[in-house]
Amino acid sequence: MLTGSKTTFKVRQMLPDIKERMLSQSGVNARSRDVFGLRCLPGECVLQRAVMVRKKLTAREGRGWVSGTLFCTHFRVAFVPQDSPKADDNADPVLLGDHDVALASIEKVVVVGPNRTKLVTPNSSLKFTPEELVLYCRDLRVVCFLFDRLTPDAQVIEITYTIAKTYQPPKPGSVLSFQNAALGSVEMKQFLSNRHRNTHMNWYESASDWEQELERCGATGWRVSSVNDRFEMSTSLPRSIVVPQKVLDTELKKSFAHFNEGRIPRWCWRHPRGSDLMRMSSFQNNIYHEKDDIRNLEMILFGCHSSLCVVVELGEELPSPADIQLAHSRLRALCLGDISTSMSVPDDKWLSTLESTHWLDYTRSCLRKASEVACLLRGGHLTVALQEADDRDMACVVSSLVQVMCDPHCRTQQGFQSLVQKEWVMAGHRFYSRINYHRDNDKEEAPVFLLFLDCVWQLLSQYPSRFQLTDDFLLALHDSIHLPLFSSFLANCQRERCKRSQNIGQSYTPVNGWRDVLHPDSSSDPSDPPLPSVWDWSLQYSKHRRDRFTQPVPPIPPLQPLLNGNLNTNPDAHRLTDTIPGSVFLLSRGTFSCPANLLPWRSGTSGVYKKSHRRAPSSENVPGLERLLKAWALAEFPQGLTSTSAPQGPLDPFEPLLPLLMGPCMGLWRECYLRGALHAQAFSHPISANHPHPVERLAREVQQLKDKLAQVSTSTAIKPASMMAEPRRTDTNLNQNTNNGTFLFPASRPQSATIATAAPPPTSTNHQTSKGAPPASAPPSRPGHKDNGGSNKHTFLFGHSSVAEARPDQRYYPAPNNAKLPKSNGSSISS
Amino acid sequence: MEKSGSIDSLGSKRSSSRHPSVDSLSSSSTSRSDRSAQAKPPSGMSSDSVATSAELSPELRVKSKTAAKQVLRDSDKEEPQLLPNETVQDMAQDVTYFCPFIGALRGTVTVTNYRLFFKCMDREPAFVLDLPLGVVSRVEKIGSASSRGDVSYGLVCKDIRNLRFAHKQMEDTLRKSIFEVLVKFAFPVSNGLPIFAFEYGQVFPENGWKVYDAVSEYKRQGIPNESWRITKVNDHYEVCDTYPSTLAVPVNIPDEELKRVAAFRAKGRVPVLSWIHPESQATVTRCSQPMVGVNGKRSKEDEKYLQAIMDANAQSHKLFIFDARPSVNAAANKMKGGGFESEDAYQNAELVFLDIHNIHVMRESLRKLKDVVYPNIEDSHWLSNLESTHWLEHIKLIMAGALRIADKVESGKTSVVVHCSDGWDRTAQLTSLAMLMLDGYYRTIRGFEVLLEKEWLSFGHRFQLRVGHGDKNHTDADRSPVFIQFIDCVWQLTRQFPAAFEFNEYFLVTILDHLYSCLFGTFLCNSEQQRLKEEVPKRTVSLWAYVNSQLEEFTNPLYVNYSNHVLFPVVSLRHLELWVGYYIRWNPRMRPQEPVHQRYKELLAKRAELQKRVDELQREVTNRSASSSSERAGSPTRSITPVQTFV
Repeated sequence: MLTGSKTTFKVRQMLPDIKERMLSQSGVNARSRDVFGLRCLPGECVLQRAVMVRKKLTAREGRGWVSGTLFCTHFRVAFVPQDSPKADDNADPVLLGDHDVALASIEKVVVVGPNRTKLVTPNSSLKFTPEELVLYCRDLRVVCFLFDRLTPDAQVIEITYTIAKTYQPPKPGSVLSFQNAALGSVEMKQFLSNRHRNTHMNWYESASDWEQELERCGATGWRVSSVNDRFEMSTSLPRSIVVPQKVLDTELKKSFAHFNEGRIPRWCWRHPRGSDLMRMSSFQNNIYHEKDDIRNLEMILFGCHSSLCVVVELGEELPSPADIQLAHSRLRALCLGDISTSMSVPDDKWLSTLESTHWLDYTRSCLRKASEVACLLRGGHLTVALQEADDRDMACVVSSLVQVMCDPHCRTQQGFQSLVQKEWVMAGHRFYSRINYHRDNDKEEAPVFLLFLDCVWQLLSQYPSRFQLTDDFLLALHDSIHLPLFSSFLANCQRERCKRSQNIGQSYTPVNGWRDVLHPDSSSDPSDPPLPSVWDWSLQYSKHRRDRFTQPVPPIPPLQPLLNGNLNTNPDAHRLTDTIPGSVFLLSRGTFSCPANLLPWRSGTSGVYKKSHRRAPSSENVPGLERLLKAWALAEFPQGLTSTSAPQGPLDPFEPLLPLLMGPCMGLWRECYLRGALHAQAFSHPISANHPHPVERLAREVQQLKDKLAQVSTSTAIKPASMMAEPRRTDTNLNQNTNNGTFLFPASRPQSATIATAAPPPTSTNHQTSKGAPPASAPPSRPGHKDNGGSNKHTFLFGHSSVAEARPDQRYYPAPNNAKLPKSNGSSISS
Repeated sequence: MEKSGSIDSLGSKRSSSRHPSVDSLSSSSTSRSDRSAQAKPPSGMSSDSVATSAELSPELRVKSKTAAKQVLRDSDKEEPQLLPNETVQDMAQDVTYFCPFIGALRGTVTVTNYRLFFKCMDREPAFVLDLPLGVVSRVEKIGSASSRGDVSYGLVCKDIRNLRFAHKQMEDTLRKSIFEVLVKFAFPVSNGLPIFAFEYGQVFPENGWKVYDAVSEYKRQGIPNESWRITKVNDHYEVCDTYPSTLAVPVNIPDEELKRVAAFRAKGRVPVLSWIHPESQATVTRCSQPMVGVNGKRSKEDEKYLQAIMDANAQSHKLFIFDARPSVNAAANKMKGGGFESEDAYQNAELVFLDIHNIHVMRESLRKLKDVVYPNIEDSHWLSNLESTHWLEHIKLIMAGALRIADKVESGKTSVVVHCSDGWDRTAQLTSLAMLMLDGYYRTIRGFEVLLEKEWLSFGHRFQLRVGHGDKNHTDADRSPVFIQFIDCVWQLTRQFPAAFEFNEYFLVTILDHLYSCLFGTFLCNSEQQRLKEEVPKRTVSLWAYVNSQLEEFTNPLYVNYSNHVLFPVVSLRHLELWVGYYIRWNPRMRPQEPVHQRYKELLAKRAELQKRVDELQREVTNRSASSSSERAGSPTRSITPVQTFV
């Protein structure tokens, strides 16, 4: 489809005397390849280059350093290791290579010379030749390049200047020009508009998406309402909201006015025991409550449980956005250290300084609140409504944490992405303001989402085997936030997102009910490129890094809980539903109460509210509720456990993962916050035993072996032992086929690429061999795989690249069948 | 120890499946650790007692019904399972144990010549506390005239916990309280009784005392060679009574001269070889401080001796002397006749002070740590409280010192001499840690045993004095957690290099538990000479006999033999952690839900299974395609190789 795929633009071999500038001006309509191995994006120009540069590797990358060539383009600082294999020109463009840094994520450029360091700004001039170039990134990475004696001095100075000039402190204009540099070319637009979106996650964009979720949760009594389809009821709510079935749209419309920003109580999730999780903003108090209104409000609030509703007030015990911002900036300063100012916290004050950032306290308070809610939901048959003043910050944190704790689906990669889509992107978390891409709204800036990621990491580190996603995935998400390229984060609500896409003259073109891709439209404003979604990971990460987003072996089934005094092991046997209908309680600071003014329309001032609700002797229920929350005190052994339940066999997978929250149990996410820290690199040594983490490596190895097994077994046509891969083998093969046949993107990084180029020929011979030798036994069910050898490189269609993670079963832990690992380091495995 | 004797891991089958959860590398170890203290020792002792002891697992997991019944049956007994030659000394009913986590519990106390056993039958399942008397540091009677006529006793333990009991005032004033009986057996040395290790009569398949043989260990290192020889000059401990009988010294220093050097070194602890680099021949040697004194005395022989150490390494013309102390302390030692080498006197030698504080500072630091972690932890000030104990800072300094030594030897190819004042505390920490970083052999279970036997036991770390086995004098200023610090440092290394060690966290906890338990003879006495005199190897069982009889318990499933790799840990406080699995293991609330260890083992099993399958299939393919020309690139089966992936 695209011409560029074959017409590789050859860059002339640079003669040393040609003044640098036109290093590799790529043609407008051609993918270009720098002679030194950089694969440019369409339209990307290399502004400057330095050879014989070494990049320091972090502990995660194996420590030590790797030498190669450093580039600066309009869009990124790229680094290509010396021995990296030739990338496939036909592959899909990847925005950032494994060693690259987007200009927009650079916060500070510092050079280190003999005995001195200097912060480089666009206007500064260098009086010495740098030996080291350090890029401080907004995502807490610190990327360090070492210049060799062999690096020409001119190149060193030039590239430093170029980087300093090209990277710009973020402001509206620079973000836009950055986006254009990355995505602005015609090819890129065309490419993006032809991307298939990931169909294995729920995007919550249409009513049917929500219906799918209702069905998944088995939530009856709810319906999807399109009353806000044109954002007339609430500007910040999504088009579709889930409300009780018995409430009609006309009735619904009247209730919006009673809530701040019109964010009425909406359904989020149903616990399998039948409780519903809802969220809403605070009540508008100065409004007259008509009798009908009250009836509707109560119906909406109580959802399909008419009896019991617990309102969880999130304002008091959780940090405010301003708190989070302060804590995060302190944490940043503490973790990064700073060689330009050499202001680093002395080691002996590290612990107390870390404590004084309060970051861990805030993580703990979020987790504690979410644990409480999770325990409540487990009690069954009640409605828990999270209430926050504007319902756009901590409500996102708590509601999604609760689901991560309770719902195994949300611990898979696809499930987690759906969750973020549901509770953050669509629910109107103000990503755009909170991240403050343009640096024009410091007051609003607050990394609420990063706090959430940290909380998830805490859960992951305490329950490592209950997650299908990995901390690599969390890290990737963490880093992507700082890249102003993704539609998911560049707006505050669905309305803004829609407006933007309308502005650039696009319309949604539903194809197969899924594609809302932007059709290539040459007349569209070139200054406003279509933005991809952050979930399109292949834009950012090479295959072998994406493979690390999921654990290769399925999570183990839950074990018998260990009674350590933290758990509330026994959901109360008494049904709380026997209570008088219409009881509302407020959960605050771990205790339940029913203040008179909890629901403004019941507080008496409005006067209309009478009826039976009035006499609800609500305190009767409090002990029952508190029992739900109460951890099993070590003093009493829960009787119910031994005598009644003592479940044999697999336990309820929806048992919440309740984290330990004691001081020593809250960890610092070192892999994220300390990965750039210079002292960690001080003793870096090329030989480090701990890369990658052995568990990961083990897990990966298992996956490799499985792949190998799949390969070997297909070629021998022998059914492998009933490994867990068995039921999914077909998928694996299909996937493989996709990879070899129409795969547009063989990973361009060292190891995998060797295989990508080396593997196919033997594979084909192999297949022929095996086909020839035992022809009878070749199962006819896998024809796709068989003609693999022949079809090796025949289709290179853009838009055919549905390499997206193919997950057949998205409800529970699908074993990752997509993990085609970089076939280890030997070519041995290929055949 | 607090545990509700509950225990799911009853049947041997069940327990084996559960095990991994417990001996986890890291987080899940808390639970495991309790077991080691109490329940474990018996399990190694008699094969038929294994099942019973396993049920004492501290795991509080909700058990299945059948398991519950079995517990009931087995736990009906109020007495502990006795070890060979263990005898019940006293029993008392109606004793209250004040558990800081659960609350007051009423039960029966049994005191034997080895342990205190408390069992509370009121609860389901029964609560059991099983404590070797060796861990008791002090017994104090609290508030004897309480209103209800109760007498209450506090037991301060060496393993970071305190226990409190109470019982009714004795009617019969002649009858001793059970805790007075306990005092007698908790401090046998003070009461003229033998330490239990001398009575313990268990037989293990392996004789643990044979684990270490000095000559063969030197031989493993390639000694003797052209520049180092083994001397028997100290065969009768005449040159130095705290040194082992076998020493490795430079070839060109005759024994006579060695004696003159000994006169110049504190306690006669001359510089001797600890470790030699297999390639560069750079060495780690250890000694005590030179007796320089206020007058700056010199010793020609000592100077010549250090020169000989330097000359033995052709790669470098320099010698580094690492003085573990802060320079101030080193200088202060001159008043007592000690001091440090002056660089004027020792040509080509460079002196470095490592700023590690003395045993008293360390003792105080651990005491503060105990205050912070037991019984309650203040969440909101946890980190600053931890900082104020300075424990991690001391750990860091020790590791940093060892790192510098390892770096000099490995990267600088320079020989080093390490000493502190007497050369048996900080010096032992530094040399053994550096050797652990430098030599992969010491990272195996047996290698680690050798390392402890060599650098700690044979070179006279004064375990008796530092731990105070069976001695009631709990205020003794010679007590100090020097060895705990070393094990802590090892744990920090295992955290940073999880695949580099053959042993797991449970192994380290077990060593520390038996440092106090006095069940094994390993950590008794102060020196090799004393141990021989007391006939410890003849009359007691070695801890290594117990360990080596059940290696699978202590094996790290992730171990990869990186024998040629040198470990350079990051010693910044940012990358050190408190060893929660040891210091806070008594707090049941710290016990994590996830059995990480089990997952490792599952993965390993899965890998082995798949690998086998792949091999089979590959063989088959090779056979089939043998006739055809297409040669398979047969993949040699790899175990994990240290992958160096540049991402």
